[in-house]
Amino acid sequence: MPSLDFRDFLGQLEQQGQLVRLSDEILPEPDVRAVARAAADMVDTGPAVVMDNIKGYKGKKLAVNVHGSWANYAIMMGMPKTTSLKEMFYELARRWESSAGEVKWVTNPVCQQNVITSNINLYEILPLYRINPYDGGFYFSKASVITRDPEYPGNLDKTNVGLYRMQVHGPDTIGLNIQPAHDIGTHLRKAEENNQPLPIAICLGVHPMLSVMACTPLAYGQSEFKFAAALDGRTQELAKALTCDLDLPAGTEIILEGEVVPRQRTAEGPFGEMPGCYSALRSQYRIKVKAVTHRNDPIMESLYVGMPWTEHDTLVGLSTCVPLYQQLRETMPEVTAVNALYQHGLTVIVAVDNKFGHYAKTVAMRLASTPHGVSYCKNIILVDGSVDPFDLPQVMWALSTRVRPDKDVIVIHPTRGHPSDPSSEPPGISGKVIIDATTPAYPDKTGPEYRLIDKVENSDLFRQKLQELQRLVSGRKLEPTTV
Amino acid sequence: MSTRDFREFIGKLEQEGQLVRFHEEILPEPDVRGVGRGAVDLGPTGPAVLMDNIKGYKGKQLALNVHGSWANYAIMMGMPKNTSLKEMFYELARRWDRYPGEVKRVNNPVCQQNVIRKNINLYEIFPLFRVNPYDGGCYFAKASVVTNDLDEPDEFDKTNVGMYRLQVQGPDTIGLGALPFHDLGMHVRHAEAANRPLPIAICLGVHPMLSVMACTPIAYGKSEYKYAAALDGAPMEIAKALTSDLDIPAGCEYVIEGKVLPRQRFPEAPFGEFPGTYSGGRNQLRIQVEAVTHRNDPILENMYTGRSWSELDTIIGLSTCVPLYQQLRETMPEVTAVNALYQHGLTVIVAVDNKFGHYAKTVAMRLASTPHGVSYCKNIILVDGSVDPFDLVQVMWALSTRVRPAKDVIVIAPTPGHPTEPSSDPKGISGKVIIDATTPAYPDTTGPQYRLVDKVENTEIFRKRIVELQQATGR
Amino acid sequence: MQCARCLADTASVVAHAPDGSGAWEMIYCARCNFSWRTSDEDQYINPARREQIFQYEGLDLETLPTVMPIAPLRK
Repeated sequence: MPSLDFRDFLGQLEQQGQLVRLSDEILPEPDVRAVARAAADMVDTGPAVVMDNIKGYKGKKLAVNVHGSWANYAIMMGMPKTTSLKEMFYELARRWESSAGEVKWVTNPVCQQNVITSNINLYEILPLYRINPYDGGFYFSKASVITRDPEYPGNLDKTNVGLYRMQVHGPDTIGLNIQPAHDIGTHLRKAEENNQPLPIAICLGVHPMLSVMACTPLAYGQSEFKFAAALDGRTQELAKALTCDLDLPAGTEIILEGEVVPRQRTAEGPFGEMPGCYSALRSQYRIKVKAVTHRNDPIMESLYVGMPWTEHDTLVGLSTCVPLYQQLRETMPEVTAVNALYQHGLTVIVAVDNKFGHYAKTVAMRLASTPHGVSYCKNIILVDGSVDPFDLPQVMWALSTRVRPDKDVIVIHPTRGHPSDPSSEPPGISGKVIIDATTPAYPDKTGPEYRLIDKVENSDLFRQKLQELQRLVSGRKLEPTTV
Repeated sequence: MSTRDFREFIGKLEQEGQLVRFHEEILPEPDVRGVGRGAVDLGPTGPAVLMDNIKGYKGKQLALNVHGSWANYAIMMGMPKNTSLKEMFYELARRWDRYPGEVKRVNNPVCQQNVIRKNINLYEIFPLFRVNPYDGGCYFAKASVVTNDLDEPDEFDKTNVGMYRLQVQGPDTIGLGALPFHDLGMHVRHAEAANRPLPIAICLGVHPMLSVMACTPIAYGKSEYKYAAALDGAPMEIAKALTSDLDIPAGCEYVIEGKVLPRQRFPEAPFGEFPGTYSGGRNQLRIQVEAVTHRNDPILENMYTGRSWSELDTIIGLSTCVPLYQQLRETMPEVTAVNALYQHGLTVIVAVDNKFGHYAKTVAMRLASTPHGVSYCKNIILVDGSVDPFDLVQVMWALSTRVRPAKDVIVIAPTPGHPTEPSSDPKGISGKVIIDATTPAYPDTTGPQYRLVDKVENTEIFRKRIVELQQATGR
Repeated sequence: MQCARCLADTASVVAHAPDGSGAWEMIYCARCNFSWRTSDEDQYINPARREQIFQYEGLDLETLPTVMPIAPLRK
């Protein structure tokens, strides 16, 4: 069932046993990080954790791991919490293609129940913590950042919602790290050309679908709000900001309204990131905060990011797979699924039926030339349509039994790479590795020894019976094996 | 910790909630296959299944999936059933070095409580089933087959115990799917060169450690019995066969004694196997059965074989990893772990710390030139010593962030390959693919130096707390 | 009787259900070594329905690969 807002989603998680409240007294450093890491390590079933007794911040609420497990992601999708990855993938793909969602404006939004416009001290208002030990400061790692193209005031489609890391500097200043290719980069460039500050809103604790859209690459001119509404099947409620003309998600927990100071840069970083290493110190933008608004009894949201697998991977995972899947299928309907979960699609596994010999290699080339594939999609593994690309032992089986080293391993270099891939050298230059682990098709060599054993039709029925029998003899719920 | 025999192991599994008794009436085909597949699809915690109501075979007991899950494997090791793969790997490696264990001879073994020498009809004695729909017949897929070298019959350590597929061909003849480079192949060659039948004992429902050793490649001249004893921590009980001088496990459920007919070949197969395809028809050896012996109230053990992941993968998995790990470490102590679980080591992931630039590639070459690596170890992935090679998500991370396509992907072809591996073309010819996903070391340059995020400390305490809180919600 | 796989007239009943229920019979072909149970699924034991790729009709069985070569006799 679609959620109204962040708080409603937490309630749904709690109802399904996917949220725990940790009231033990803990230190901001090093404990909050350990809590978030521990929760994220339970990749399939881990709960969101709401802390309310962080030393020095007693009574202030902080939520982590909200998107941190596939169970939580399934609940966000309105699906049973044991839904398989493959099923969620197909459902997300189905909704992606449905028509744009609806938005509606409300007045007196709950996100403005409380307003602070003077003596703003972020370190005291919000339960901040250093995410990784060598981070340059206290970061917002799960903020949805809203800006608009200054040439299109009031235009919702030219509004961008993006997930960017933000380092708290002074009591009311924040560093903003962005790349030129991001949509917000365009907005900033235009504002700076006119020496104008760019109005900005930093939203913490937003509707879970909006967080997903905030880190999904959409075309410039596509609205994250409308996409989130479409995926969620429910209208997104918006409200006007207080200090500028931006449109904000009405049910957000905490919003920082401010402006990006034009034509100045300041030191920002380092920050432990998705590839599992610290990004360098950079010269970046600065935001001056003008107002803090929040719900009554607000819940701050954060995520742990670092060595995969973390909440970041679960958050961006499936919405990285779906656009690639759809772009491939525009001309290649033989593609049955795409697993781009690893490091935002640096390693991709595509399931495809060979319509003729070596077709899979052509599919790899199409993938490598999609907009996302240009700099990501370094390692491209092809498997049969009947193989579940989300099931890594099955993928290993395909590598073992289908790869002919002299024909099925191809390296193309140099090509564009992604600067955040530590192995790209120099940064931004890399290559492509294509591994074809599909079953050959005519006129490539085939034969009776490629006659696959058919799926055992009745095995699902027996599996369920055996599972039930095992539950009875164990007398309790079984714990998963740690592998 | 040690187990006496198969029957005792079944009891231990049942005690730990890892065995279910299936009493519903089911057909041999197509139901037993469905049970086997369904059981192994329950994954790392799935149970063994004991059936006793197979139509036409009512009352006869059949066990599947005995080694089918990591939980069952852990119980065999005498470890908690939720032990991690990595811990089991290191424990197995530790025990490997205890070779040789002891054997103890017994008289009047329980496996000979009942003896049948006449009117032998395998189809009626055993609750057989066609494992995969297009198999050439009913197969024993989990037999431990014992033979001696007739040129050296008194060398106990030259006795071979191996797991080979066996196709029932008529009431008292069995097709034997052997390969020339197996130890059994050598025994057959010596016997056939002298035009002598080779005595053979097909043992079913053996000690679980012996099953593991039967499908582990060990050096010729090393005894599977003594390895099983070393791994189990107690002597293996053996006894003499009735119609030959072979040493058989004393506590096994059934023994089929016979002779391999010399210098004759008969059509055998197809058989659905680990590559997920059917092996083609071939001309193979034939066994003439002379006696069947069994325990009172015997349990036939068999195995569903098909596309990975199946019981075969679990039974051979870790014992494929350990010998490779130890052979590498003889000269390369920087190797920290070896995951050779996939298709008997066709795909291997080695964790190693680079002691200098590109060292990992040298490690790959060492692996590819071990006895097992010659025809297996096709895809060789190297990861850092700090990466858990049994955690495929971590391995994907290493591929994503460490592979430099221009430098770290190497193909060596042609090389020897494994004939039953479908992509080997022609049969027995393949290649090696080396993917180096380790962090470069001096003097290999990496461009800007990247500082890894350290492992977060103290997560275990919070993990326990979170699990507690989550269980308390009762949902 | 006819073998379901090689179609030669070389098959015969070799076993009956041992529990006396009469639930099935086992048939075995002495020529190509195929065996089948009469209660198996029709698509796998009916020569008209079995997949061609698995049939041995007209196949010279001598041409099947011999995996274990016969070693020369010792003097």
